[in-house]
Amino acid sequence: MVARRGLVYGVGALRAAAHGDRSVWALHHAALANGIVPIVPAPVVAEGFRTEARRDRMEELLAGAEVEAFSEDAARRTGELAARAGTTDLTVVAVAETAARRNCAVVASRQTALRQAAGLLGHELVLYAV
Amino acid sequence: MTKRSVSLADDVAKAVEAAAAEDGVSFSAWLSGAAERQLRVRQGLRGVMSWESEAGPLTAEEIAAGEARLARALSGVSGAVSGLTSRVRRRP
Repeated sequence: MVARRGLVYGVGALRAAAHGDRSVWALHHAALANGIVPIVPAPVVAEGFRTEARRDRMEELLAGAEVEAFSEDAARRTGELAARAGTTDLTVVAVAETAARRNCAVVASRQTALRQAAGLLGHELVLYAV
Repeated sequence: MTKRSVSLADDVAKAVEAAAAEDGVSFSAWLSGAAERQLRVRQGLRGVMSWESEAGPLTAEEIAAGEARLARALSGVSGAVSGLTSRVRRRP
């Protein structure tokens, strides 16, 4: 087991927060209370705002998150990894890539795809499934 | 970029210098990042309070469970965040 430095939220975490999942909010509270600001890749925010009606709740969650910009480099890394993983879900790949690069645990729902993408990076995923 | 003169205890300044060197950033950039992170934590806790004003406050048990999950995640142990969507507590 390797210790992780923080948390990365996937679309599942935003969705759970938007739906009022108290466990996700409690985990978010714990992170902040311990000085940890969870990371959310920008494509995850885009997908959350595309699919969830309770944007106010996502805004409340994101108030305590670092939305990592999707830079040109990140776009290339994500696209290449998605091709290797054989997936069109760029949000999942962006989460796995961010978690590997920043040594973070993941809170998300797409377990199989996340593990596959992380495996291609040689990264042992620490996943909290929602 | 705004310049400010700040005073730090000697041991804090030394620790910041060491941390900045370890992270490969300047003293100023490290301090700025730490301040930014602290501000984000404050904003985030206000966001949680805003959510709680609608959904009801997190109980001591829920907070303890969140702390335990965080500790396990940071120690490298996977798990589940149980979905309690259907049990959203509401203020009377």
